[in-house]
Amino acid sequence: MIETRTPVAAAAARPRRRRTRDSGSQFESAVGWGSGPTPLNMVRTVLCVAVVLLFAVPFLAIMIGAFDANPSTTQLRLFPRELSFESFRVAVERGILGYLVNSFVILGGGLVLQLILSILAAYALSRFRFRAAGLVLGLFLLTMMLPEEVIAVPLSQVLGELPLVGINLRGTPFGVMLPVAIWGFSILLMTEFMRDIPPEIVEAARLDGVGELRMLTAVVLPMSTPVLGVATIFGFIMIWDQYLLPLIVANGPGDYTLTVALGVLRQDPEVANGIVLVGALLALLPSLIAYLLLQKSLIRGITSGATKG
Amino acid sequence: MIHPTSSRPRRIAIALLASIAVIGPLAACSSDDASGGASESGPLEVWTRTDATAAETYDDMFAAFTEETGIEIDHQPVVEFDTQLQARAAQQDLPDLLINDAGSLGEYVSQGFLAPVDRESLAGQEDISDASWDQTLGTDGTTYGVPFSRQANIVIARKDWRETLGLALPTTWQELDDLADAFATGDPDGNGQADTYGMAVPGTAQNGYIARWGVPYIWQAGGELLEQDGEGYTSVVDSPETLEGLEFIRDQFCTPGHVVPGSINYATSDIRSFQEGAAGMYLTGPYNFNSFDDAVGRENVEVIPMPEGPEGTTTFAEGENIYYGSTRERTDDRAALTEFLISAEGQEMGMDSPAAGGDGPFYSVVRLPVNTTLEAGEVYADDRWQVTADAYADASETFPWNINFIPFRQVLADGMNAMMADCESDLPALLEGIDAGFETELANQGLAR
Amino acid sequence: MTSASTPMEAHRVTDAPPRARFRARSVAPWLFLAVPLLFALVFKFVPLAEGVRMSFFRVQPLLGDEFVGFANYTRVLGDPRFQDAFSHTLLLGFGTTVGAMVVGFFFALLFEGSSRLLRAARTAVFLPVVTAVAVIGEIWRLLYIPSEVGFLNSILGALGIPAQPFLSDPGTALLWVGVVGIWTTAPYNMVIVLAGLAGIDRSLYEAAAVDGARLRHRIMSVVLPGLRASISVILTLAAIRSLRLFTEVFVLTGGGPAGSTEVWMTRTYSIGFASNDLGVASAASMLLLLATVVLTVVVRRFTSSKGAP
Repeated sequence: MIETRTPVAAAAARPRRRRTRDSGSQFESAVGWGSGPTPLNMVRTVLCVAVVLLFAVPFLAIMIGAFDANPSTTQLRLFPRELSFESFRVAVERGILGYLVNSFVILGGGLVLQLILSILAAYALSRFRFRAAGLVLGLFLLTMMLPEEVIAVPLSQVLGELPLVGINLRGTPFGVMLPVAIWGFSILLMTEFMRDIPPEIVEAARLDGVGELRMLTAVVLPMSTPVLGVATIFGFIMIWDQYLLPLIVANGPGDYTLTVALGVLRQDPEVANGIVLVGALLALLPSLIAYLLLQKSLIRGITSGATKG
Repeated sequence: MIHPTSSRPRRIAIALLASIAVIGPLAACSSDDASGGASESGPLEVWTRTDATAAETYDDMFAAFTEETGIEIDHQPVVEFDTQLQARAAQQDLPDLLINDAGSLGEYVSQGFLAPVDRESLAGQEDISDASWDQTLGTDGTTYGVPFSRQANIVIARKDWRETLGLALPTTWQELDDLADAFATGDPDGNGQADTYGMAVPGTAQNGYIARWGVPYIWQAGGELLEQDGEGYTSVVDSPETLEGLEFIRDQFCTPGHVVPGSINYATSDIRSFQEGAAGMYLTGPYNFNSFDDAVGRENVEVIPMPEGPEGTTTFAEGENIYYGSTRERTDDRAALTEFLISAEGQEMGMDSPAAGGDGPFYSVVRLPVNTTLEAGEVYADDRWQVTADAYADASETFPWNINFIPFRQVLADGMNAMMADCESDLPALLEGIDAGFETELANQGLAR
Repeated sequence: MTSASTPMEAHRVTDAPPRARFRARSVAPWLFLAVPLLFALVFKFVPLAEGVRMSFFRVQPLLGDEFVGFANYTRVLGDPRFQDAFSHTLLLGFGTTVGAMVVGFFFALLFEGSSRLLRAARTAVFLPVVTAVAVIGEIWRLLYIPSEVGFLNSILGALGIPAQPFLSDPGTALLWVGVVGIWTTAPYNMVIVLAGLAGIDRSLYEAAAVDGARLRHRIMSVVLPGLRASISVILTLAAIRSLRLFTEVFVLTGGGPAGSTEVWMTRTYSIGFASNDLGVASAASMLLLLATVVLTVVVRRFTSSKGAP
């Protein structure tokens, strides 16, 4: 094993002055960018700017289109002739805020449930060795392989009369929350990452007499923050973007989520393009904010290197 | 050290119990049939295929009906109509009334969704033309729907552009072609930029859009699609006349500027080029008048009477029918609602014309009234609607509605899209392909002669 | 965080007798898996079973389904357009997977770091993931307008390149749909790789530098092995999703022009759902499911972690 303690410990002991500037030391990142105006960093800056433009320009078009008095679908216009909040006003009139609330309710419950289920399943699959483990993971992956249009009708029947309990989930947020709680992607993600947790730490804790549940909550989960962050943001987006399921569960337009409403409004010839753009803007903001918040879990500083090895 | 587990029998037992626990009740659920008839009193359940705006128009109509008769209506504006209808059918419980596309009749009949309509017993049925009633017959000669709304596609155009360029209304295909050319090259909006085009076209094969848009040109050239032959049908689409119509369409796609660039992939919901002043013409339905007027100004939007092709001016007609769900039996109540909906009063409410006053939303769910006592032009106070009504009455054709035409429509659309996508395409060969596709589908549906 | 174990503690034996511990261990994973499996059963497998059943019938919900054996399957397999759709699906899937993986990996390396600027850059690049597919379709349709005034064409024009037909030409449409696929998926992959990078022991970078390793060697021997979990997830997901590709293609081209961008699910939509033939749609979906299972098994075999429990 490589002797690793001293340099890292020394680095951790050094006062960290430049937290908010570019990556501290050369060993912060895989490529080893370092900081300051090195030629490598200048190349990096150019590349960064180019890529960001490539991705940001189309979205500027949406944002500007939402404020444009005459949004165009035949030309990409970055400099509108006239700005107005008209599209927003009409959108609110059409109940866009209500749809937003519905989306948030389903998101809140669904995401929490999804994370819990995925953590439970991933823990079982990654930290226990049993012959059926591969098969069970395969089963969870299988749930992702069927296009949702095919299972839509049977699923709506199941939701109309839930087995064993016989309750009708239609027209309730649970009708969407429960089916989205089981998501193979989330389970896969967490299983793979949890597998990489070094066995020595777990063994040490087990010999300390730590039971399974505490093992999960006190040992494994804290070490899994990056993947939890990723699973959260992806789960957020997946639930937020649901279209067919909320549509068939809804008992009326009042139950629509924002995504469903957008889809419906888009086809309405009476609705001007600007309103759809407003909806799209509102639809992407929460996911974006969640992503911003969760980025922290994706980047580790110098100190976290000490937990490994 | 983690020992490998060997409790296989236990695992199998758990799995088995779990599955029985879940599937058992589920099987019990599906085997007991929900009773067909819903409450004999209580609201009448009516499904319409609408978005939020149109739903308001319907709600106003139903409110008026309830006030007159005291019968409550449970109005469900449904978006994914067919999926949700299938789900209800699986529960053996269809709504009392459905208002949907007239073209769905054949398919609904074959699925057993519809109860026959007793035409003679409906008050006011004589105000609907026999021709309209004939369109609601199934293959067995029984009436399965009640005509509710009709429409025909017309050429909506920029009057100001045409006048700026000093051109007369086109009356032939050639003049239509010239007008498209002028819109593309003559800078009709006077802004010094080449940003105008001849026509907006929904060119995608998806949902049969290109077929619905382009079939008038086939008909105007004298071509036909299917021909009824006793009990069955044969495909007659492969003919020199059809070829002529298709060639005309391809010429439009392949002459620069005649068609908005990228149209080959557009669905109708993607097209806003007319409203945005990029396209000068659009062959589409009259329900667009309001949004076009709002966008470019009412005085600038005109309807060009269909320019004549080699064999006529036939355009494409569609419509909506009232259907009765076959699992419900509230015959009196639904007859009452139907009579209201086809009455002059009901139809006028459905037309929701701005000229008639009221507070909107001015979204017509009845486009052209089926009630012959009403004149579209008068009710809308808009002679563009009159042109549309005349086109519908004198020179329009529909797809066959008494069979499930949608697969045929898809074959036609796929073929047309392939033809227009490539200016070097082998039209006769592709047309043969469409013909073969029709024959296959006829065999599939057991309609082949 | 875990406490470091001393050699003495490692030898301590737990209080519980060995036999009880063994039995407790073998049931434990199933306790964790119980609820997730239940959800999967009710909301995925039961509808899936119904989908399988429907594929053997002519589905007539009211009149009663008619058993047709394999007729639906032969209809699908014999349809030349389905066959074309299959090859398009494979081509598009493979191209987008490879492209998105390479680009995503590159982005992760480029944007790794804790500075605010980098965080902003990552967010900008993440925008495609949070935006509704319909809106992405609209933006790219604008970018791809085939005349000289189209956004991309005007840029190309400034560089002296003639106007491209993009999506209007059956010969090139598939390629440009793939580009959009890469643009939409690469940020997704970037996030997964970033999570993996966050888990790499920083001291390994230092050690590699001490050993005199250059960038390429560092990437090959430290970074890539550390990304095993990420790469495995990305490839598994790609295997599952690429065959199911639908909405993006549907929104951009609807399968046209001339069926050149038709993928399996768009054809299933045209033949099955649009015509309300649920039996054929289910059969087509089952075939897709089969292909996906095979592909996933192959991918999992390839990328499974060596030390997996």
